[in-house]
Amino acid sequence: MKRWLSLLLAAVLTLSLAACGGGSPAPAGNDASENAESAADNSGGAPSANSIRLVNGKIEVDAALKKLAAMYKEETGVDVSIESMGGGIDIQGTLKGYYQAGNMPDIFVNGGASDFANWAGLCADMSGEAWAADTDAAYINDDGTVGFPYTVEAIGLAYNADILEKAGVDPSTLTSPAAYELAFATIDGMKDELGLTAVVGYYTEPVNLYWSTGNHLFGNYEDAGLDRDDTTYFDMLNNGGQLDVDRFTDFAKFVALLQQYADQSMMISGTYDQQILNFASGKYAFVTQGSWIGATMTTDDKDAYAAAGNFKVGMAPYAFQDGIDTILTNAPSWWAVYKDGNVDAAKAFLQWLTTDAAQEVLVMEAGFISPFNSSSYVATDPFAQTIVDYQNAGKTSGWHWLGNKEGLAQNYTGQVFNDYAQGALDTDRFVQVMQQVCATAYGG
Amino acid sequence: MDSVNPAKKALSLLFLIAGVALLGWSLAMDCMGGGALYQYRGAVLIFGVIAFFAGLYLFPTLTHHRDIVNVIFLFPLLFTFGVTVIIPLLLGIFYSMTDWTGIRYTQFVGLANYAQMFHEVSFLWSLLITVLFVVFNMVLVNLVGFALALLCTSRLKGVGFFRAAYFLPNLIGGIVLGYVWQFVFNNVLVKVTGASLLTKTPSAFAAIIVVYIWQYAGYIMLIYVNGLVTVPGDVLEAAAIDGANAFTTLLRIKIPMIASTITICTFLTLTSAFKQFDVNMALTNGTGSVMDFMGQYLSNGTQMLALNIYNTAISKNSYALGQAKAVLFFIILACVSLVQVRISNSKEVEL
Repeated sequence: MKRWLSLLLAAVLTLSLAACGGGSPAPAGNDASENAESAADNSGGAPSANSIRLVNGKIEVDAALKKLAAMYKEETGVDVSIESMGGGIDIQGTLKGYYQAGNMPDIFVNGGASDFANWAGLCADMSGEAWAADTDAAYINDDGTVGFPYTVEAIGLAYNADILEKAGVDPSTLTSPAAYELAFATIDGMKDELGLTAVVGYYTEPVNLYWSTGNHLFGNYEDAGLDRDDTTYFDMLNNGGQLDVDRFTDFAKFVALLQQYADQSMMISGTYDQQILNFASGKYAFVTQGSWIGATMTTDDKDAYAAAGNFKVGMAPYAFQDGIDTILTNAPSWWAVYKDGNVDAAKAFLQWLTTDAAQEVLVMEAGFISPFNSSSYVATDPFAQTIVDYQNAGKTSGWHWLGNKEGLAQNYTGQVFNDYAQGALDTDRFVQVMQQVCATAYGG
Repeated sequence: MDSVNPAKKALSLLFLIAGVALLGWSLAMDCMGGGALYQYRGAVLIFGVIAFFAGLYLFPTLTHHRDIVNVIFLFPLLFTFGVTVIIPLLLGIFYSMTDWTGIRYTQFVGLANYAQMFHEVSFLWSLLITVLFVVFNMVLVNLVGFALALLCTSRLKGVGFFRAAYFLPNLIGGIVLGYVWQFVFNNVLVKVTGASLLTKTPSAFAAIIVVYIWQYAGYIMLIYVNGLVTVPGDVLEAAAIDGANAFTTLLRIKIPMIASTITICTFLTLTSAFKQFDVNMALTNGTGSVMDFMGQYLSNGTQMLALNIYNTAISKNSYALGQAKAVLFFIILACVSLVQVRISNSKEVEL
């Protein structure tokens, strides 16, 4: 009797195992049958030909996207549901969960090479779309044109143009370490008249702000001053985490210069909010953040910004070597179309986003800087004009840090920048430690 | 008595066969895909299960009827336990031996992930400080919790208020708590300490311990309070008549009487400190530098084991390696729990 019972239990468990095994995704080994299955999964689920789902990684533009979805519904009758994530949520992790559950959105956000590598073979090729010929910011890999760019962002040393003017510093001369040293010293001497707390708002807090140092500042070592498609230093990094010692030492010296003139009380543990608020209030002449802070300055910090006179801003290159005169611009992330989703409807929607009516919302309301040549809108964002100027002058470099080893900034380099700022590492040791952590990150 | 009603038997068999057929059909639909009734496969599955059990229930036997009923009643729980615990555990162990990326795997790598994790200096560091953290907290949380419990069972005024007040931090989620304390350390205490405590590894580690005690001591206190109030009044009265002062009473009467509570609390703090994750993540996210550990500079000074696993899988995108670490984590915790059960059982016999 006992045996009969256990046999039955075993049978039931096996059955349930089989039931669960059927639903979970399988190795790439048996692609064909799996694809058939996931396609079937979709036909069984809710989505019909008349609805698409978009996972958006910029929660701050949620309202604008929902407005676009409503416009699109009115025009074509296709339902677009917008699912916005952000504010520190691990979007790729969530997407992986969706994939495991057979609940993939039709359009989802990808942040760069490593994200696209995860989804290799699962993104639809969009090279045939009309917009693909209209931009040079699309993401292209072995699967074809897989990433739809929706905005362009820039990394440079943002400055308060009014203060620089009052101090008699011409930002266009800031293309060498010597020029920076002179400019910093000049402004430092006039701090009281200009109402400054410090010359530079350089923050290195490693818990929440690691991306500013570990990704953006470090990204300048990889790309500043280079042609858009020059990947010399990025390739070195990918080859076991090597750094070019000469270039990196120059970079380290420039970081030391930033530290010397930084807001000492905030440099170690200040927050992003404090950094932007202080810059918007006119307390720093420079801030080590890129064009995205414009949105914060004109919304959350708009009172402080108005009180400081809504000063003009601009961006200078991180010129840690003589002659570096470019800022880094790129699409910060792209929208990809899931191959087994509602591909045609998704493609049609993305194409529609490049039309005039949609571009107006994306640029004027979401504050995006259009990566499409045909778009004539310029956002009211304080930094929009600067980016356009650099683009027109051809003084932009690409950025490749999105393809750095996953977690490099969060788990390794962010902390090293903080130690350097604390004085726990001197310049030589900083370079050594950076070499070691990069080798560890890429070796492991 | 063993005579079988053929009509009932036929009905039972009919149900059983129908149930198995429905089950098979729904599973086949799910695996193959397609079919006109594809979207009703869930309903078909449920009907299959119901029919199967109805057949079992109606099966005309007297000797096994009880067992059948038992199985039917147990089935929902066993099934849920299997689906939510056993299967994920087995899948996890399997994934730890592949190069799984969270999306798919391409090859079976055997024990390579396990070998790799022990060659990772930062992981060894995480193991080390997790053990340190557990030892510190096992002692400190229990001391603080017990001291608070003594206060809250004394004849002070407003004891009810204090009990609630000490317990309150435990009701706040660890993430919220971590961010609140991060603000306190970075913006308030920094005025006293000069540099934020969170910027140097040793002080950041101490900060996590302090926050953890703040969060957890109230909970442990509550258990001790429950223990202390069960100490019989007549024993205490007898001790008082014999001339025992408060300290002697505590040492000779109260503590021996609540020995089992102490065991429970010790193991509670042990396992929960070992699993520390949310405060660690929100407060420091594992940052803090170690200048030289086994010849290497480390950037994960305050990263405890659970957070190390999470960051390995999510932020470094090495799901398989993270899974291997998680299996080790499971083995350690399972050992601790087994020891705990052993000890608690032997104590119960004593009492």
